[in-house]
Amino acid sequence: MKLERNSLLILAALAAVFPLLVTDQYLLHIGIMVLFYAVLASSLNLIVGYVGEFSLGHTAFLGLGAYTAAILSTRYGLPMWATVPLAGLLSAGLGSLIGAITLRLQGPYFVIITLAFAEVLRIIANNWVGVTNGPMGIAGIAQPDILASASTLFAKRFYFYIALAIAGVALYLAYRFVYSNTGRAAVTVRENRYVAQSVGIQPFAYAMRAFVLGAFLAGLAGGFYAHYISFVGADVFRFSFMATMIIMVLIGGKGTLLGPLVGALLVTLMEEYLREAQELRMSIFGLIVMLVVLFLPKGLMGFLTLRRERRGDQGDAPGCTPHVQAQGGAA
Amino acid sequence: MSQVQSFPAPLLSVHGLEKTFGGLKAVQAMNFEVKPGEIFGLIGPNGAGKTTCFNLITGFYTPSAGRVMFQGEDITGRKPYAIAQKGLVRSFQKTNVLKSLTVFENILAGHYLAARQSLLDTFFPRAHVRLAEQAARDSAAQIVETMGLAKRLNTPAHVLSCGELRLLEVGVALAAKPTLLMLDEPAAGLNSQEALAFGETLKQLRRTQVQSIVIVEHNMGLVMGICDRLVVMNFGQKLAEGTPTQVQGNPQVVEAYLGKARA
Repeated sequence: MKLERNSLLILAALAAVFPLLVTDQYLLHIGIMVLFYAVLASSLNLIVGYVGEFSLGHTAFLGLGAYTAAILSTRYGLPMWATVPLAGLLSAGLGSLIGAITLRLQGPYFVIITLAFAEVLRIIANNWVGVTNGPMGIAGIAQPDILASASTLFAKRFYFYIALAIAGVALYLAYRFVYSNTGRAAVTVRENRYVAQSVGIQPFAYAMRAFVLGAFLAGLAGGFYAHYISFVGADVFRFSFMATMIIMVLIGGKGTLLGPLVGALLVTLMEEYLREAQELRMSIFGLIVMLVVLFLPKGLMGFLTLRRERRGDQGDAPGCTPHVQAQGGAA
Repeated sequence: MSQVQSFPAPLLSVHGLEKTFGGLKAVQAMNFEVKPGEIFGLIGPNGAGKTTCFNLITGFYTPSAGRVMFQGEDITGRKPYAIAQKGLVRSFQKTNVLKSLTVFENILAGHYLAARQSLLDTFFPRAHVRLAEQAARDSAAQIVETMGLAKRLNTPAHVLSCGELRLLEVGVALAAKPTLLMLDEPAAGLNSQEALAFGETLKQLRRTQVQSIVIVEHNMGLVMGICDRLVVMNFGQKLAEGTPTQVQGNPQVVEAYLGKARA
């Protein structure tokens, strides 16, 4: 708990000085994308790591957030300070709606229905031309006034700090959630529904809280994305966003706060580095995911905690039942 | 409702409880009462319907017929978590703990009800939340001590031995601060020495932490040693009821159960 909090604070401090030391706009852009993905991966992690169900429809919340910000900004002229929080709130609303249906399901049923929701939204975005401008997407999303006459370097730095602020909010909320009685209840439900009920926890209610919080954070990220890229199309619902998020959460380690951040950093850098090998990129990612799932089932953070535990262990007693879990087979 | 009783009202009473699975009558015509301060045993051969009874009382199954009253309130067919919130908490026959969490974390998780908080307090905790958290942590440490698991405080549950797991399960149930604790074969996997110590622990719990205990158990030494009264089940029905001495002397019981066990 302390270790995780201190690591988060150190990361935040490092991120805060990064734009002051860097003048390369390309590096700043990568930094912004790392922060954007950090929010997104953290929000997915709340569902995968704390509800314990695998959502393939998380882009629904990202996309709804992006479209909300885009429409509020271009139609109603609302400033970014209003559109991004509203994007989060609307996504949270959609989250409670989708959650009310999907959280009654488990395993593959949950996966398929969440995927279906994201697909439905993508089709709506593509076809409801009156609202979403169809396949053309919404372009020319307003930039904050402060950027009107500023240099592009200033604009990049500005967006970096906005992204950092959103990441800060996201991790604060996630941290509070995870280390509260509410988060403990969600973990209890994830680990064992019977135990949860027998100590008075209503499983559905706690899965719902984690799910809606995840939707809210993804909506914030979507709202930010709309303003930063200044264009939103039905592409935001596409599966490759989903794949990227999943890879980040799996590589970093689900069920930890630091994992998704580490995952976001590694995967964003890898994506940029492998940009030349465009065709190979997804294949390489596929291989990496397979290797991670096989050899580091708890991700990098899980691997590190396991090693720490092993070092200070007092000799394992044989378990009660043969425990089938390939824990860190590579260790 | 307005019945005036001169003797203490039962904590738990079960009236005509019945459960059928298809054509199979798993439990029928079960009647018994658990009084405050009592350790109450539910015994019988395998498949007699003891665990089904537990599941019916604690809401994990819905009864086909009959009523379950807890502290004068009808809880028949309520959801398990709602029944637990009323103060009736159970453990499971098949070990159910939070495997990837440590012993301490398991028992802390059991304190859910005591540390319950509003959504606002989750994200912006006020002082009283920290106090409640601290109280839950202190109580969790206390329970770990009571259950004799202090040496295993920070050990993940999945590496515990069988006996330790059973103790942990009881600890998690205790953490929910029950009025009535229902234990399903808590001594399975304990050796006779450990079972004896466990029995002493239960007797102490009854005086200090919970009002009454209902226990399903195959370890006759333990059951006869700690129970005030017993119900013997066979083929889903009540075969006998009484003190351990009365039950042991009942020829039907001896034939159905104890006789075979001694042979």
